[in-house]
Amino acid sequence: MVQDNDTSAGASRFEPQKVWDPAIRIWHWMLVFSVVSGWLLGEFRSFSTMQWHIYAGYTTGTLILLRIVWGFIGPPPVRFRALAVGPSTLKNYAGKMFQREPSGVAGHNPVGAISVILMLVLLSVQVMTGLFSEDDALFFDGPLANTVSGSIRTTLTAYHHLSAKAILVIVLLHVSAILFYLLWKRENLVKAMITGWKIVRK
Amino acid sequence: MTMRFKTIFMAILISCASLGAIPMVQAADDDAVAQAIKARQAGFRLYSFYVGQLFAMAKGEQEYNADLAATLANNLVAVTELSNGMMWLPESDNTARQGKTRALPEIWAADSNIGDKAQTLKDAALGLSLVAGDGLDALRGEIGAVGEACDSCHEDFRAEDF
Repeated sequence: MVQDNDTSAGASRFEPQKVWDPAIRIWHWMLVFSVVSGWLLGEFRSFSTMQWHIYAGYTTGTLILLRIVWGFIGPPPVRFRALAVGPSTLKNYAGKMFQREPSGVAGHNPVGAISVILMLVLLSVQVMTGLFSEDDALFFDGPLANTVSGSIRTTLTAYHHLSAKAILVIVLLHVSAILFYLLWKRENLVKAMITGWKIVRK
Repeated sequence: MTMRFKTIFMAILISCASLGAIPMVQAADDDAVAQAIKARQAGFRLYSFYVGQLFAMAKGEQEYNADLAATLANNLVAVTELSNGMMWLPESDNTARQGKTRALPEIWAADSNIGDKAQTLKDAALGLSLVAGDGLDALRGEIGAVGEACDSCHEDFRAEDF
């Protein structure tokens, strides 16, 4: 990337570009809905709503599978190739992350790319362990729960609960990062994920 | 050759000695605490057996049968009303008996509200037993409270895994 010593040049060094394709934008907001509702329905569960938690899990799982396909055949900014950032790129970006200007990246910034991968991995773990989970209070079991032994089921259920906590942490981090970009770096990433137009370095 | 023989001899000796030690280790498995743990787990198995079928009926996975539903709910009430305090011995939590129980030490804490939780289950089971034989809708209306009573106690007092 170009030299960044001159931060006073301001907006002239940036231009809006269409970065996010419609599919990834719809996908993102569907994922927000399925993850938030699934998480809330799991955390504040009741007998009458537990089936909806399972539906939210199926939806999230389907969305993850679509994202994996999109990671290979989708537009360049959403491909896994674009998410695979090396240590030097990461270190370079982390060093200038606190400059008060947009990242200017035509896609996920390097730190964001790591975050995306982490979220995808955690959500996959969440869905997969959920398939084998048991709930011996409200008696809702994952669809594959009785394909494994009781002790494996108990362990996978424990991981399902543990990774739910990890997902809460990373989602809060994700939202904090968006606020950091909005308030400190003066870049509205929410708007970019709605319209598809992102501020990119010329 | 003799060295080798000695080695083999020692190996056999050590093997026998360790085999002999196994019953000694297992002895600790059958003391008063171990028996109390097994007894209370048997109680939870009964809860699960009765309420599991009621949940299966409520979810349409098992055909609703009024007589069976009423009996299951009455049995559940009977089990919840047993005075089983003697099963909750000191040193029978999941740190004292690792791998044997999921009962958290918080159960025995001075500010533990386990008694209230047990009462919630008793009330919910009783409420269910009053209507379980009156049709599927009546069963569905009351069974949630039982499951939520179980859930709230597991959440606070049961470890995630052994």
